[in-house]
Amino acid sequence: MTPKWTVWLGGVLLAAVIAAALYFPALRRRVNQAKELTEKTAEQARRELLPVAPVSTGDPKAKVIMFWGSRGQEGELLPVTVELPLSREPVLRAKQVLNTLLAGPVDTESRTLPPDAALLAFYILPDGTGVADFSDEIRTSIPSGIQSEQLAVESILRTLEANVPQVLRLKILIHGQEADTLAGHVDLTQLFRVNAKDAAGTQLDNPSPPGSKLPGPIRKAVETMRKATKR
Amino acid sequence: MVLDPAHGGTDPGARGTEGITESDEVLQFATATKRALEAQGFQVILTREGNDNPSFDDRSARANAQRGAVFITLHIASTGLTGTARVYVEPEVPASNNITGLIPWDRAQAPFLTLSRKLGDLVQQELSKRFKGSPDTLQTAPVRQLRTTAAPAIAVEISSVSVKERAELDRMVPGVAEAIARGLTEFRPTYVVPTIPVPGGSVQP
Repeated sequence: MTPKWTVWLGGVLLAAVIAAALYFPALRRRVNQAKELTEKTAEQARRELLPVAPVSTGDPKAKVIMFWGSRGQEGELLPVTVELPLSREPVLRAKQVLNTLLAGPVDTESRTLPPDAALLAFYILPDGTGVADFSDEIRTSIPSGIQSEQLAVESILRTLEANVPQVLRLKILIHGQEADTLAGHVDLTQLFRVNAKDAAGTQLDNPSPPGSKLPGPIRKAVETMRKATKR
Repeated sequence: MVLDPAHGGTDPGARGTEGITESDEVLQFATATKRALEAQGFQVILTREGNDNPSFDDRSARANAQRGAVFITLHIASTGLTGTARVYVEPEVPASNNITGLIPWDRAQAPFLTLSRKLGDLVQQELSKRFKGSPDTLQTAPVRQLRTTAAPAIAVEISSVSVKERAELDRMVPGVAEAIARGLTEFRPTYVVPTIPVPGGSVQP
């Protein structure tokens, strides 16, 4: 005959199993909620640390042309007109349009840059060379490949060309540093031509492999960004 | 003929489903292409035969050390229409102002751009015959690997590592190998190593 205490023990264990089964889905929901909250908070914290392009409410709204990916034509860019409060000052204007480009279109399939990448700094040197410094995510989160990297760079160049005529050519930095490639394919050691009026600054006209001497003004800009990044 | 399976070692390149990595897959494509080219009488060098990752310059140096070489770098993208392939060449490179008659390493591709385009056109035509949806014409992109290569040089990018199953990529291997071999066979009779003008009116091959 089964001792009475084993019946009690069995009953208690059975009740515990039923309670756990009932409680488990709720626990899982809570864990997922907590995880989402942590991710959101980390992302928010990161964005709060980044210098955001100031948008003055006094800035008049203007139509800008953004170049995002074409859904129908693979590997092609499509100009999209959007209305933004836009500064007349070229550096602020460049930051505003690049931040809009990074924020992406309504149709997320058409984005050309990773959603978690951020513009850390933007300068325009007196000779019309723009220097854009992006966060590491532009390299780590972009889909790897020649086509996707080329599309990302082209979308930056064409958007600047359409909206900030003062930028004649562009140097792309990642986290304040020169990079050999964007994500293993497209060459970032060069200056990219932004504006067709720029006869001198064609790509490869001034290649600067890491370790080599950069033109003075760009070297200064890189130094400034490195210091800012360290801070 | 220098064939370059991109990435390798600690750099897996694009990563897809089923644990597919670009660095592993391109090695398969390169090995099959090597066989197809050798069957056509070409001498073929691979820039890597295992899971190592030579630098961009080391890879270029394999071609730059040969006279009359041709360089093809093989990639698999993480995007793009599955089952297609694209050929890329460097965009226009301004002429160098050097007075030594030597080609600067950073602009090594410049004297070979016309030849690279010709080779690229031929290979792209062969690829588009075999892989529906591939572009009919080659494309330009500043691919880092091509810039320092002193030979007709193209990049072939296959889509993609995001296939549903590895077999889809495996089925493309013979077609890609054959397209490259045919393109190169057509290109061979037209390939004359360009001469570099040097001060004093003479030329240097």
